[in-house]
Amino acid sequence: MDLERFRERFGDKVKIDKNILTLADKKDLIRVVKFVSKYFDVLYMLIVVHRPPKFELNYIFSRYQDQEIIQIKVEISDKENIASISNIFKSAEWEEREAYDMFGIVFRDHPDLRRILLPEDWPGHPMRKDFVVTEEIKHWTGLDLKF
Amino acid sequence: MIINFFYTIVREFFSVRVSILLSVIILFIIALILTVAAPLILGWVDRKFAARMQSRYGPMYVGKFGLLQNVADFIKLLGKDVLSNAYVDGLAFNIAPLLSSAFAVAMISIIPLGSASLEIINLPYNLLFIYIFMALSPLLVMLGGWGENNKFALLGAFRGTAQMITYELSVLVVFMSIAFVSGSFDISAIVLSQSMVWNAVYFPVLFLVFIIGSLAVIERAPFDMPESSQELQAGWRIEYSGLRYGLLIVGDYVKLLVISMLAVYLFLGGWNGPLLPPLAWFWIKTAIVILVLMSFRWSLNRPRIDQLLDIGWKWLLPLGVLNLVAVMVLWA
Amino acid sequence: MGEIELNIGPVHPATHGVLRLKARVEKDTVLGGDVEIGYLHRAMEKIAEQRLFNSFFPNVDKLEYVSALNWEILYASVLEKALGIDIPPRAKYIRVILAEIQRIMSHLIFIGAFGQDLGNITVFTWALRERELLMDIVEKISGGRLAPMYLRVGGTEYDLPEGFDSMILPVLDRLEEKVNKDYKAVTYENSLFKMRTKGVGVLTRDTVKKYGITGPNMRASGIERDLRRSEPYFVYDSLDFDIPVEDAGDSYARFMVRIREIQESIKILRQAVRALPKGNYINKQPWMFKIPPTEAFVRQECPRGEGAMFLVTDGGMKAYRLKIRSPSFYTVQAMPEIIKGARVADLFTIIASLDPVMGEVDR
Repeated sequence: MDLERFRERFGDKVKIDKNILTLADKKDLIRVVKFVSKYFDVLYMLIVVHRPPKFELNYIFSRYQDQEIIQIKVEISDKENIASISNIFKSAEWEEREAYDMFGIVFRDHPDLRRILLPEDWPGHPMRKDFVVTEEIKHWTGLDLKF
Repeated sequence: MIINFFYTIVREFFSVRVSILLSVIILFIIALILTVAAPLILGWVDRKFAARMQSRYGPMYVGKFGLLQNVADFIKLLGKDVLSNAYVDGLAFNIAPLLSSAFAVAMISIIPLGSASLEIINLPYNLLFIYIFMALSPLLVMLGGWGENNKFALLGAFRGTAQMITYELSVLVVFMSIAFVSGSFDISAIVLSQSMVWNAVYFPVLFLVFIIGSLAVIERAPFDMPESSQELQAGWRIEYSGLRYGLLIVGDYVKLLVISMLAVYLFLGGWNGPLLPPLAWFWIKTAIVILVLMSFRWSLNRPRIDQLLDIGWKWLLPLGVLNLVAVMVLWA
Repeated sequence: MGEIELNIGPVHPATHGVLRLKARVEKDTVLGGDVEIGYLHRAMEKIAEQRLFNSFFPNVDKLEYVSALNWEILYASVLEKALGIDIPPRAKYIRVILAEIQRIMSHLIFIGAFGQDLGNITVFTWALRERELLMDIVEKISGGRLAPMYLRVGGTEYDLPEGFDSMILPVLDRLEEKVNKDYKAVTYENSLFKMRTKGVGVLTRDTVKKYGITGPNMRASGIERDLRRSEPYFVYDSLDFDIPVEDAGDSYARFMVRIREIQESIKILRQAVRALPKGNYINKQPWMFKIPPTEAFVRQECPRGEGAMFLVTDGGMKAYRLKIRSPSFYTVQAMPEIIKGARVADLFTIIASLDPVMGEVDR
């Protein structure tokens, strides 16, 4: 897909490399995603990679009429939160809940941000690279039970 | 009838009153044995037949060919812990299975068991009485559903009652037409009137209405929505376990046997037939009807409850009534 | 009576796995509901970061346990794309054959479970009987019935056994005969079945596009898209098959799409077995290998929709991040909207016709 229109629209706020768009600043996310929603139908995947101390979010969008996909990369730091795109793409709701569950990223303006795969009172966010199996978690999972 | 037979034997040894009492007791025991034997044998046929339809073997190890499997299951049911939740209504909860099996014994006692005068007690209106015992089932369902004190069981009981009442009307219309044509409510007389031509040849629509209606009245699959074991987890029977559940099953199988016998008596010529003795003809025909009715359970899926009630009110009842009117006009 | 909350809990014979549905019901209509997942969460993505690349194949099997080889093929493809290696043509044909066999097996389970939820237990045993024949073939090829750990980077672990075509062609004939005759009589040509499934649980095109539903559920609502045709991988561009599409979007359409897919898969299998080339079956890689830092994204057509994997590596012997996209995740996300306005008795029909497998939803 020709990504020139993105370069025209957003100038130097984005860096384009094949079909990967890298945003320089996370504040532009909503505007870029709104522009993407004109051409793409659905959020295909949301991949969070933890390179301490930063999170790298990869949003992959796809559409139904042909094979084009676009990948948008944003970097945020460990302690920040980021705007939620679930008002634009409904399929992002559960993906963002999973990102919150596994990594602890808070998405602002998400309609229903709570844990999805783990129980509500589970301590910690397991997919982070600095996750350590503490005594509390061993007790939760029954690893310390002696029969 | 059989009671006469025993009375004449016993009368030789005892006075009148004692021999009446003794014959009644012996006949009651015979009826009980037949009632309990029906689910044991029919249950074995059901399980083996279903298993062969599904490419598997069925009961194989308990007794030769698995014949004693249902006996073993019944003994297991007897040994189960008598559980019921603390808030059940004692009378209603316990009386429903008892009445169900009591009605089963009653139906076995009055229906002819294979040829003329081979019934336990002879009644000149036995068709009507069998209908009455079957028609009391909605009452039992309501008693059971209420007594269990469980919100979902009550919903299942409502559905079951609605289904039974709808289809009982169609079955009643069928009975009335056949009685009108044969001139009496006595099953032996009905069979006698078919000695030339079977009723199914004259009234195929009535035959169809009877098969569908009676399957729905006894709540057998594919019409077992109130008890659908995949969706509602046993509907109105959910709190019954152990012996109470066993008695409900006894009632189920005896009712299946009774409607198969009725189908043969009313439509397929009863025990009439060349060459073989009447008893053999009757049981061959009944066996074929039982196998056909059993195969419906295993090969069809259930309709929804509202679709079922639709069919009952919009199709079966009008067809039955039309047939009744046609019969009355043509025969008069 | 007002509104009651009906909890169709995680343990229920009619939900396909451990799915919890909290439906709000008034009289006999469902007003809406909430879906809760996560009862089968096994931390597959975290385990992928702690195992060598080749040691993760057994875990990938357990993701979608009714058709395990499809996900193994996907994982092997993403590793090969990250490494930048090619696989020999015989390996491509073997992968196509295995993928289509597993697709048929998955759809057979769907037919059985769907019939069983409607009350017809016999169809379940018939479907499992046909699945046994295919499982025997998978066992002869790989040694495992439900979890064949057969794929490796660069090809497969063993070659196909001798006399493979004489093993599989009679099975395909028998399968075709059963699907076209026996199953037709008790399912798709049976008026009780049609009464129960036509017009039930209509999935509109807008809902499909809103939630990102793919696969047979999408094709039953009129959208014609199949990754095997539009983005052909392995040798699908040289095989001749159709894409079944229905317009109605109800449960009956979803059932018919899958029946037609079984027939198309049988066609593909016959062509692939005949065209199987001789030669190498693996482009052998060392057991422990490193992948230079890169990202790889591969998507393929799994039996339930478009499955995808995204692999991020850092130059070591283990994955840095492996993300698995499962198609049933999006179907289950859309469930509260699909069941609005349905009757309670149809709830199970709708869940069964959407065919979720909780192993891949929860990972």
